Amino acid sequence: MYFLHKLLWELRRDPALAARFRDDPDGVLDEYELEPVERAAIAARDFRTLYDRGANPYLLYFCALQIGVSRADYYEQLRAERVGGES
Amino acid sequence: MAELAGVFATAHSPGLTGFPERADPAKRDAVMRGFGEVAKRLADIEPDAIVAVSVEHFTNFFLANLPAFAIVTSGRHLGPVTAEMGEFLRIPQRHYAGAPDLAQHIYRYALNHEFDPALADGGFDFDENFCVPLTLLGTQAPVVPIVVNGVNPPYPTPKRCYDFGRMLRGAIEATTAARSVVVLATGGLSHWVGMPEAGTINEDFDRDFLVRLESGDAERLTDYDDAVLDTAGNGAHEIRTWLVAAGAAGAPFDTLAYEPVPEWLTGTAVAAARI
Repeated sequence: MYFLHKLLWELRRDPALAARFRDDPDGVLDEYELEPVERAAIAARDFRTLYDRGANPYLLYFCALQIGVSRADYYEQLRAERVGGES
Repeated sequence: MAELAGVFATAHSPGLTGFPERADPAKRDAVMRGFGEVAKRLADIEPDAIVAVSVEHFTNFFLANLPAFAIVTSGRHLGPVTAEMGEFLRIPQRHYAGAPDLAQHIYRYALNHEFDPALADGGFDFDENFCVPLTLLGTQAPVVPIVVNGVNPPYPTPKRCYDFGRMLRGAIEATTAARSVVVLATGGLSHWVGMPEAGTINEDFDRDFLVRLESGDAERLTDYDDAVLDTAGNGAHEIRTWLVAAGAAGAPFDTLAYEPVPEWLTGTAVAAARI
């Protein structure tokens, strides 16, 4: 979880990194030791999966805004019912 | 030796400056009257420095090194941290004056009184934590920022926060670096950030907390565990800053304003210690 948090934090703090992440996500993600499920989720802007895994909500939310996920979209993801009854 | 001339606690919700118009006008006016009352008292006191106690929202610190408590001893502090945040908060970026002699005294005093805060001797920038209340209070007094971890568990216990405040009062009363000092805590009350419940207010929690604060009863005020605080949101952990202020005051508080304001995402309160 540390490297996921580090990525979330650095994407928020460093606009150049956020821009590079938009253009070349794999190149940026290669620089962090992410679990495969974390890597897939952040590449897909799937903040719900990261939230459910216990990532810090402040870091998730601030990062989402920084990489172009709107406040409304972020909260819609978190509030959506999980398919198959999983919550 | 300095006098602790006032102890105040306020919300620091970005909406207070960034989007005040979204709130119900009657609630907004009530909250702003509370800030106005503190502003007036500050103007009367004319403190040499404000010891401002808040959390910081990963603006400076990170999990690579996350202090439970930190004292900022630099001579000036940039805030808001970016121009972008300045636009969001509608607060122009500027440098806030520090009070390094007082800050270093507090740091040394803490170490000599069984506390071990982190030292931040430069490069510490403000987010809404300090910019929002200091702007609303219209004060230019030098600021000694003290940071309590309220953003990532595990947290310092409520009792430890209260006791940190008692230590802080001792430090202030023992300093020759100022004559008149005010303590200002910022944060809370109930709110959720980055969680599905964002926009919810736990008014029962907030009002009960304010009753405890008004009682001046340290035991009741520190009788919280994380599970209870979680019922008021991850943001409710910021009341630790209020507990530091309560420890410094050692006295009951008056609630100057409390309004549940969903549009600002917070139970929004302003209080002053009866000292």
